[in-house]
Amino acid sequence: MRASLRRRLLGWTIGGMALLLAVFAVVVYAAIERALAGGFDDGLAATAWAIAASVKEERDGIEVEFDEREMPEFRRPDRPAYFELWREDGRVLQRSSSLAESGLDRRESAVGATAFYPLALPDGRPGRAVILRFRPRVEDEQEGEDEREDERAAAPPVVPQLITLVVARETAGLDRSLAMLRWLLVGAGGGTILLTLLVASVVVRRGLRPLDALAARIAGIREDNLSAALPEAGMPAEMAPVVRRLNELLARLEEAFQRERALTADVAHELRTPLAGMRSTMEVALSRARAAGDYQQALRDCLSIVCQTQAMADNLLTLARLEGGQTVLRVQEVRLAELVEVCWRPHAPAVRARGIAYESRLPGDLDVGADRDILAMVLSNLLANAAEHTDDGGRIEIEGRSAGGTAELAISNTGCRLTPEEAAHVFDRFWRGDAARADTGAHGGLGLTLVERGVAALGGSVAVRVDGGVFAVRLTLPSPSAP
Amino acid sequence: MRVLLVEDYPPLQKSVAKGLREAGFAVDVTGDGEEGLWYATTNPYDVVVLDLMLPKVDGLTILRRLRADGRPCHVLILTARDTVADRVRGLDFGADDYLVKPFAFEELLARVRALARRAYRAKNPALRVQDLRIETPTQRVWRGKEEVHLTPREYVLLEYLAMRAGEVVSRMDIWEHVYEFNAEADSNVVDVYIGYLRRKLGRPGKPPLIHTVRGRGYRLGGGE
Repeated sequence: MRASLRRRLLGWTIGGMALLLAVFAVVVYAAIERALAGGFDDGLAATAWAIAASVKEERDGIEVEFDEREMPEFRRPDRPAYFELWREDGRVLQRSSSLAESGLDRRESAVGATAFYPLALPDGRPGRAVILRFRPRVEDEQEGEDEREDERAAAPPVVPQLITLVVARETAGLDRSLAMLRWLLVGAGGGTILLTLLVASVVVRRGLRPLDALAARIAGIREDNLSAALPEAGMPAEMAPVVRRLNELLARLEEAFQRERALTADVAHELRTPLAGMRSTMEVALSRARAAGDYQQALRDCLSIVCQTQAMADNLLTLARLEGGQTVLRVQEVRLAELVEVCWRPHAPAVRARGIAYESRLPGDLDVGADRDILAMVLSNLLANAAEHTDDGGRIEIEGRSAGGTAELAISNTGCRLTPEEAAHVFDRFWRGDAARADTGAHGGLGLTLVERGVAALGGSVAVRVDGGVFAVRLTLPSPSAP
Repeated sequence: MRVLLVEDYPPLQKSVAKGLREAGFAVDVTGDGEEGLWYATTNPYDVVVLDLMLPKVDGLTILRRLRADGRPCHVLILTARDTVADRVRGLDFGADDYLVKPFAFEELLARVRALARRAYRAKNPALRVQDLRIETPTQRVWRGKEEVHLTPREYVLLEYLAMRAGEVVSRMDIWEHVYEFNAEADSNVVDVYIGYLRRKLGRPGKPPLIHTVRGRGYRLGGGE
């Protein structure tokens, strides 16, 4: 079963409560039992001392002046008490009439002290007894001074012999009281626990209500309304951080979804345009009978559209891999001037034909630590971009230098018509200067996006600057030795 | 009927212009918003086919400027933006129709034809002037029960005259609505084609269809 917060809270509350109540009950019971038993024993002792006080040692023997009528408990036929007096030699001196012919158990005990013990009464009832060994009072006969003087002189002084007294009383009353006390404690404890269970479950349910409310709200979140944040107001202080974190998570998710939707819309848009071109080219070609050359031209047009679209799909895939971090880097030492030369070669003839001056002032020994394929992709896109946007008769310049653990590469070209505000968007996916789609194909609005992601994957950075019609890209890449 | 196509994606520009021309429209083409706006404000186009994402000046701006200038041309927006919000915005900016890429060329053609008809307050795709009947979707022409076969240029001229049947149409009007901006500037061409049409449509014993209104132009039907 799932660990339930409610159950756990209730369990701990009730468990703790029960333990406390049990300890409390035991303590209370022990104290009351002690007090009751003490009172009972005090009563027994008082009776014993009273009986002992009625025993006198006289010259002619022991006399018990005790009259049972003064203590009717020893004579009553129903649940009587008992006492028994013994001489030191074991002979019974006197016993209560309730004892009839039976006797009471004796224990060893010190002289002049009382000792208590439980015992079974002669009629089988449980009881408690006190044993008292004492020397009775010595009493001379009251006959006259002279005679007494004589006798004192004539007879040796009387030495009182030890008498043992046991007084026993039933403990039914005490036991009943204790039993009642036990029931009272158990009942009160149980009742308290039941009530606590009730109250605590209500309290816990009410206390956890914000959690339920939050759960209901979270359940109501769908992927298309992620922006509907959870309300932080009204949440208890303990839950506010949870709600805040959840809202942050939702915001991040929303952003990711938004990006995803934007990408889907962008891709759909970018696919529609070439599809429209292809469809319309084919439909127009097929709309009437034509010469073979016309069909060939239509096919060539379609083929070029397909190639452009394929390039775009490849770029998107590369981009997705770069962004998804799926690209495995094989970092090696790359001579920048060499790679720039390789990447420039395909553009050189067309650029020369347009009267554009190309100058690379890269130091021959400038190396970077990079994945050669990704760096080649980055440079190709940058150079293609420069070749495409430079005005006829313009100029493309490449510079480089090493700067403390990094290598810097700057590619600049004239003929840029972007404003600095527009230049801030050049790395956006599918963004094209002044929304022109005339150059869909070579990069399809993905070239500089690929550059940015590629450079990021290489651990470098890229920035652009537009100044007086010159578009400048500055790459910072790690040097080969850099970690 | 004269059409301006403002579309910056070369394959689409090329094929749509070709298809429209083959359907008898005089088509001017540009892939640039600035140029498109200049074309549209300096020529009396019947229909403008307008892409939205254009270099320099975007399609909606062109549309707004055309409407602000009170240009009556019918505008069909041709774009890859397909959300309801995009369509509503385009139409609310003053477009007459909206077509999402990719599209069936036939549909584009039919929509352009419908807009061209509307430019002359005609709803019926079949035009009738006396016993002359023109089916614009198929571009077939009958005089009485006899079909008349015309070349595309002849047909375009006849259709334009028929759209404005009963009105005097100046040579300038014909020039502006029937021929492309880049076409050879020779106003004699109009007279030459009027001559061809008269020859093909004339029937002995029947009254002539095309009248010359001296000093003002031509009139199809109506009058006497």
